[in-house]
Amino acid sequence: MSRLRGLRAALADEDVRSISRRYFISNGFDGTLTSIGVVVGAYLSGITDGLTVFAIGLGGAVGLGTSGVWSVWEIERAEKQAETLRTEAAMLRELDDTIVARRDRHGRVVNAVMSGIGPLIGVVLPLLPFLVVPEVVSLEAATAAAVAIGVSVLFTFGAYLGSISKQRWYVAGVRMGLAGLVVAAINFVLPT
Amino acid sequence: MPDMKRLVLDVLKPHEPDIREFADATSRCDGVAGVNAALVETDREVQTIKLTIEGDAIDDDAVEAAVADLGGSVHSIDEVVIGDDLIEQSDTPQDPHR
Repeated sequence: MSRLRGLRAALADEDVRSISRRYFISNGFDGTLTSIGVVVGAYLSGITDGLTVFAIGLGGAVGLGTSGVWSVWEIERAEKQAETLRTEAAMLRELDDTIVARRDRHGRVVNAVMSGIGPLIGVVLPLLPFLVVPEVVSLEAATAAAVAIGVSVLFTFGAYLGSISKQRWYVAGVRMGLAGLVVAAINFVLPT
Repeated sequence: MPDMKRLVLDVLKPHEPDIREFADATSRCDGVAGVNAALVETDREVQTIKLTIEGDAIDDDAVEAAVADLGGSVHSIDEVVIGDDLIEQSDTPQDPHR
């Protein structure tokens, strides 16, 4: 099986998709809240340059994205290895160099990549308004827009989870989006 | 060796890949015309399946390699038919279910 075909098969595998979804949403949630915290904190700290806010946030995105990929790679390696050892004990044979091992590896790649993409989206999207400060929008407006984008991203995550679990998608979306407003509010009331 | 016409294998396998993949992979081996895969037993970690493979000249090494690549183990070879004709086993008075 070629690597590309293997990765495509992993993307279609419901077990791999389910685990990837969890990592993507969980780390995307972390990233979005971090981004909201950074932009509100930057505004309250008196930073006036939009690109500086963007650069600080981007540093966070690199950190969270790397963490997402690296940690999931190691977590899934350990989990799958434990699972394989149980199966090998029952089979009385090793499963290295079989389709079972190759599928685990491809599934791990998909899990790790999705885990890294989540925080990248969550951090970078809210930062985009700061790229057009002060030419298009003021710093205050960019901060408000960043919080709004962050809340929208969280709402989307929640609505998606709601839609796959047959909940009311807008209620699930509001529940997740609320977290963004809470983070922004806490930052505002904290002494800076 | 004359051509192998039928091969029946008792295979122990992990739950995944599933039985369809074993049937599919073995059916693609040289000399195989068709495969019947039947679930015999399911345990917590493994399953036992019976593969009945027929063809004009079954490449049994390729079949065993396909089973192994899917993570399965051939526990026993339960039936082999070799030669020009497909010969069924004959009943004997000792058979329990005549």
